Amino acid sequence: MDKIVEMKNITKEFPGVKAVDGGQFDLNQGEIHALIGENGAGKSTMMKMLYGLYTPDSGTITVKGQEYGGLTTREAIDLGIGMVHQEFMLVEEMTVLENIILGFEPKKSRNRIDFKKAIEKIEHYIENYGLDIQLNKKVRDISVGEAQRVEIIKTLYRGADILILDEPTAVLTPQETEKLFEIFKNLRDDNKSIIFISHKLNEIMEISDRITVMRHGKHVGTVNTEDTTIPEIAKMMVGREVFLNIERKKPEVGEVLLSVEDVYVPGERELSKIKGISFKLHRGEILGVAGVDGNGQSEIVEAITGLRKVEKGDIIFKGKSIKNLSPAQIRKLGISHIPEDRNKRGLNRPFTIKENLIADKFQDKEFSKGIVLNEKKIKEFAEELVKKFDIRPSDVNLSAENLSGGNAQKIVVAREISNDADLIIASQPTRGVDIGSIESIRKILNDIKKKGVGILLVSADLQEILSLSDRIAVMYEGRITGILDNEEATEENLGLLMTGGYLNEKV
Amino acid sequence: MKKSNYINAILSILVALIIGGIVVAFMGHNPLEAFAQLFRGAFVGKFNFGTTLEKFVPLLLAGLAFAVSSKIAVFNVGVEGQLYLGAMAAAWVGFTFSNLSKVVHIPLAILAGMLAGALFAAIPAILKVYFRVNEVLTTMLLNYVAQYLTSYLVNNPFSGGTGVAQSPPIYESAILTRIMPPSRANTGLFIALGMLVFIYWLFYKTTVGYKLRSVGLNRDFTDYIGVNSRKAIILGMMLSGAIGGLAGAIEVMGIHHSFLDNFSSGIGFDGMLAALIAKSDFGMVAIISFFIASLKSGALAMERYTGVPKSLIDAIIAVFILFATMEGLFQLKRRMKSKKEVDEHVG
Repeated sequence: MDKIVEMKNITKEFPGVKAVDGGQFDLNQGEIHALIGENGAGKSTMMKMLYGLYTPDSGTITVKGQEYGGLTTREAIDLGIGMVHQEFMLVEEMTVLENIILGFEPKKSRNRIDFKKAIEKIEHYIENYGLDIQLNKKVRDISVGEAQRVEIIKTLYRGADILILDEPTAVLTPQETEKLFEIFKNLRDDNKSIIFISHKLNEIMEISDRITVMRHGKHVGTVNTEDTTIPEIAKMMVGREVFLNIERKKPEVGEVLLSVEDVYVPGERELSKIKGISFKLHRGEILGVAGVDGNGQSEIVEAITGLRKVEKGDIIFKGKSIKNLSPAQIRKLGISHIPEDRNKRGLNRPFTIKENLIADKFQDKEFSKGIVLNEKKIKEFAEELVKKFDIRPSDVNLSAENLSGGNAQKIVVAREISNDADLIIASQPTRGVDIGSIESIRKILNDIKKKGVGILLVSADLQEILSLSDRIAVMYEGRITGILDNEEATEENLGLLMTGGYLNEKV
Repeated sequence: MKKSNYINAILSILVALIIGGIVVAFMGHNPLEAFAQLFRGAFVGKFNFGTTLEKFVPLLLAGLAFAVSSKIAVFNVGVEGQLYLGAMAAAWVGFTFSNLSKVVHIPLAILAGMLAGALFAAIPAILKVYFRVNEVLTTMLLNYVAQYLTSYLVNNPFSGGTGVAQSPPIYESAILTRIMPPSRANTGLFIALGMLVFIYWLFYKTTVGYKLRSVGLNRDFTDYIGVNSRKAIILGMMLSGAIGGLAGAIEVMGIHHSFLDNFSSGIGFDGMLAALIAKSDFGMVAIISFFIASLKSGALAMERYTGVPKSLIDAIIAVFILFATMEGLFQLKRRMKSKKEVDEHVG
């Protein structure tokens, strides 16, 4: 097979960070090549250089036999390179067809677009690759999976035969992911080449032909998928052995801790984003909430923690209603909250590590007398947590601004766990966090469960839900479509519930 | 604030002076002599140095008031109005109560001034947090309210009856002692410096300061940790207004000894400028205010002895502001650029 792309000795420096240092990558014609690594490993940066969005500081990029020091986006497109970004670049108010041909319209005459010709060309992709889309719908009316297919057709339409996809499965349900992989295979069979950025190991093993692993901006290795295993790849990514699967014991559940009773909650735009949710959570259990992002998970969490008003229904915690209390009152009663977005809520980034760690406790007697903060106690407390949770850097007086995602998230987890709450609401606790930190955060959650703490775990990562939860509630469009015991849950039946389907045996 | 920012500010001052010097040379004067006179006029002799201090106090307080508001992410353009109302309240206490001892009368007048400023500043804060009314708009409009209200008061009910638009003189017991006669510098200087230290302490060593800084940097975070961000913003804004009111009170009690109509003529805005240049760092606000005050007080001497027009000093101040903010501009651009690239390459 021919090497269609070869990137050699690439370096790229951003102010203060070496994003890529000695990066290597090559792509054969007609293969699916996975590029993996933890957050900040430099994989997106590598691909943005190939697509011409960044220029490498040094190194060479060879595409189809031509050597370049750096490409412009225009050159990249002309060379047949197309990129599907994590965030879709589509005009919401235009139809799918208009979006696809935008900027590359076939013309009948100077001012008239030849829609017929465009449709013919697009139909060809739809049939050959199984990319079913509805051409005359507006983009705002189609699903995420379909929007992604539109993006893929858009790049094909512009003549791409090298496709770069940046974490395409992050927003998809398992079923949609399956479908996407079918499309990948069809494209490969037609001799197109695909670069697929991901950090989901099982997906990569399933679909790719070769795997390139990056760590801290460096090239760790490129292997044939059939010659390797998941643990081996994980080890290459992290630099040591990792154990993501938690030894989960069926818990001895205690009393009911939290009871959500037919709750309605308004959303940003809709009147009722949550339409009548009920569930119970016991001491000593982890209740997982699965679902595609945006189906009301954030709203229910905000309603329980007092950050959003409850419209109807009741929320009972330890026998008392906490409906529409203030966040401060709810915290005092014993509910901790690891929020889904650490940059928005979880941390005050410009604050120091120390200040972030005492954010919910600075008014406690232990840390302040009257209004005067007890700096010594605060420092001691923060240093203890930093040590216990292995937060790096360990200087508590540094600003939290430049911390990596994993260490930043550890600050949030450390703070929320250190106040001995009875209930912890963990929303996407490992999103955008490196594997090493995922491992330790999951272990922490599993350990405190054993102490009789109840945990409501909201996560878009099914593997996380399956490996930690004792019971799993699935949300779809503001409702719970089913609650399963861990033993009866599989990716398949969860996926079905996540898309609004109901299981044959009602639960 | 980082050390490098202090160095940058000093450099901006130097560059502004050098450019001013070149202009002076072009005008056919000796720049060294002009600056020597400027320096002399600002620092040498009790009267000169006293005048510098006298101008420094209101600038520092107005700058501090603005810096406090910007620490809670509110743009308080209304310091001028808060200053007028504070001055009026202090003057009223000063000329109304006749038989109080100095120990009671002075604190009472000062507190009245601060209270008036605080309450006046609470209006835009409440409108902002509960009704989402932009505070720049409200504070700017309220400046007119304050200015015309006080103007009405000194012309009618509180007129001193002298034909000049001013209130009756305040009683001796409410007057702040002059510390460098014949200049008008007074003990208000120590109150202002005390305020500077207090504000620093409050912001960095107390729970109140934690809340205020938190709400200024990240409102979502503040609500999430269980601190009411609305209350924090109102409190911070009232603090800002109180400092503005204090500036007015000291002007009345230490300088004019009565409320003169339109006496401020932009102290609030000069202070805002100082705070903007200082990027709301409390220590820097003091340094910049002192620099501007020295230039202003030295200008007269320079004009008198060398013939270099006083207005040149305003030009130097403008150049200085230009450089100081330009440096800020570069910094902002750099930060935005690096942030954008970092954001991108994290994804």
